[in-house]
Amino acid sequence: MTVFVCIDDTDSLESRGTGELAGLLALEVEKRGWGRCGSITRHQLFVHPDIPYTSHNSSMCFNVSMPEEHLGALTEFAADFLAGESAEGSDPGLCIAASERMRQPDLLVEFGYRAKRAVIEMKDAFELASETGVHLSCHGGTGQGVIGALAGVGLRLGGNDGRMRGSLEIPAVDGVARVKELLEHPEVDAVRTMEGASPDLEDRVRLVDKVKTVLLGGKLVLLVTADNDPDGVVRWRSCTRQQLKAY
Amino acid sequence: MMWSALTDGTRRFLGGNGDWSGAAREAAQCVGFLEDVEDELVADETRSCYNCRYRRWTESSFICLRPGG
Ligand code: SF4
Repeated sequence: MTVFVCIDDTDSLESRGTGELAGLLALEVEKRGWGRCGSITRHQLFVHPDIPYTSHNSSMCFNVSMPEEHLGALTEFAADFLAGESAEGSDPGLCIAASERMRQPDLLVEFGYRAKRAVIEMKDAFELASETGVHLSCHGGTGQGVIGALAGVGLRLGGNDGRMRGSLEIPAVDGVARVKELLEHPEVDAVRTMEGASPDLEDRVRLVDKVKTVLLGGKLVLLVTADNDPDGVVRWRSCTRQQLKAY
Repeated sequence: MMWSALTDGTRRFLGGNGDWSGAAREAAQCVGFLEDVEDELVADETRSCYNCRYRRWTESSFICLRPGG
């Protein structure tokens, strides 16, 4: 089965980020042999004075391919992990959603998009979690992070929101790789231009900055933009942080 | 003047959330700049208020939480 794990509001001004904590949690899951974890995606939520987020209002979500028998152990472990590792003064929330136990995933997707543009109350998040059959829990502070954790799962399920945490390591010659080589990376499902076109497999792409994918159409997509190579040999370049801000 | 002082002692950046050069200029002059975690960096120029741990995004801009700015 596929299980989505999402955490939110685990950090403070001085602490490590929620993304790092999600990475550590994923490592622990694999170390215990419960399953294989996929990419972590970051989902931006609504920023509004009425939302008391401690450091960043973004949640981090990853998928785990695993047998159902380990779901209970994973849930218990993730809850203890979050309670023990989140920053003091933060309001951590945890959501764990198993694809085969989930009901009405569309409602979760809709909730995810609502959490990007409106203030939502914790009771609404708990009601929806119970209606859709997903685990949702608070692990300190006000527990406000449950809203982002549930929304993160919804946005991940929707497949059209967020950018990957960290960056890809891609073998390149002088910082340049062909599209077909990019597609060989296990965490790249597609290469597209910002306008949605697919470059030729043989086209060369200059890799600039940290190379990250974004989630589009349910796929991890590496976005590229036209390169200004005077020789015309390199046709594309990977997008910079600034260009990926909207994802 | 790129800031508007708020009653709680913090300041709101008047350049909005797309003034990349303004945000870089302000951070270049600020002794308090502290690079945020990598997942939250958004500006290409690393030293930018947009990449600072003390910025808290608002819908249209950000607030600097560092006392004294
Ligand atoms: S956000 Fe504030 S502390 Fe950070 S660089 Fe800008 S002015 Fe300085």
